[in-house]
Amino acid sequence: MEAVINDYISRELVQDASLLPLGNATSLLETGVLDSLSLLRLVVFIQERFGITVDDVDLVPEHFDSVDAICAYLRSRAGEGAGQATGRG
Amino acid sequence: MGETVARLRRLLRQAEVVAYYLAVAPLLALLPASLAYRAACWRGDWTFRSWPDKRNEVVHNLREVLGEQLSPAEAERVARDVFRIRSCEVIDLMLLRGRARSLAKLVEIRGREHLDAALAEGKGVILCSAHSGSYLCAFSLLHASGHPVTTIGRWWWNYPPGESSAERRIWDFVYARRVVRHRQRPNIEPWPGRLKVAVQAASALRGNEVVTISCDAPPLEAERARTTEVTFLGRQAGLLPGVVTLARLTGAPVLMAFAHRSADYRHQVLDISPPVPMEGETAAAFGRCVTAMDAAIRENPAEWDFWFEPGDLASLGLVPDVPHPAAKAGDGTGRKGELQQSSR
Repeated sequence: MEAVINDYISRELVQDASLLPLGNATSLLETGVLDSLSLLRLVVFIQERFGITVDDVDLVPEHFDSVDAICAYLRSRAGEGAGQATGRG
Repeated sequence: MGETVARLRRLLRQAEVVAYYLAVAPLLALLPASLAYRAACWRGDWTFRSWPDKRNEVVHNLREVLGEQLSPAEAERVARDVFRIRSCEVIDLMLLRGRARSLAKLVEIRGREHLDAALAEGKGVILCSAHSGSYLCAFSLLHASGHPVTTIGRWWWNYPPGESSAERRIWDFVYARRVVRHRQRPNIEPWPGRLKVAVQAASALRGNEVVTISCDAPPLEAERARTTEVTFLGRQAGLLPGVVTLARLTGAPVLMAFAHRSADYRHQVLDISPPVPMEGETAAAFGRCVTAMDAAIRENPAEWDFWFEPGDLASLGLVPDVPHPAAKAGDGTGRKGELQQSSR
């Protein structure tokens, strides 16, 4: 998962080549990689690639500040999905 | 001594503006429209005569940018119209009361069929405009007539350092409150660091709503790295092409919309275009929007807000970043002495 997210951000969102290769812990906000429109692009990518819906309330810096943070958020969402599925089942 | 006089003048100017918004314009708006707008024009003429520094600055800006298009006499006439129109726009604002029917009688919406056809696709519509004419009131009319409208734009008085909370509350009360009453959601304000802006806009579009955005907004310092160089009003200007990115990510069509006032100052037209093609490079697609803005501003130059704002013209790269001598005279610049009739 980290590799997929890192690859997308490195290819599509990083404009400053000096930030490459992008570390998984690098702050995307402090380095200016992520702004409002690039976050939208990232959210669209995540939704299409991982098949989850990102709620507006989840759009907080803690979830999107680094590749690691994004993956942690996605894992928590996957856990929720599994939990809900188990609960319903 | 000179500084004290200048400060006093600035205070008087601000007091007059506040009185016009709070007391005079609401009363004028109760009169028949022909009288209300005539009185607004008188006030515009009075301001034009009694504020020579700002008048000279507006004429200077017009000549600097549209020099080949305007003779000195025409620039003077357009500058007077700039003052009149700003004054009339306050009456528009007051006529948004109730269900905005008083204003609806005066504004013809052309091209509504393009908007209806675009909304029928179900992906929402981005209405791209400029800070020209009474565009915010026109968008309020669209909402009042049944199209759910949300605006992406900054209320300029919300954040500048030095702006007092009292001033912010006044402009919220006299201005934003009236406009936002006819909106689906509060303005989506794209200040740097606000990550949710584009997602909120996309969410509105997913709900098949109309999202408006003015593409001639001068970029903030933090946004400069993301601007695209385009030809705008005969010069290379750096503008933010967010409209193109938003359209491509959401699939929403982009329609251009410009409001302009007729010669009697009270009737207006809101022109809505067919969808603008978004194919090709970002700069090319955005260039089509900018070309349409350029044409609308040249056709009705007095309607554009930024003649009053040399700082914004400089941010756009349209005039050198050196204040015109008139701006130093201390009689209040546009933002402080007169309400900037816009959200950006």
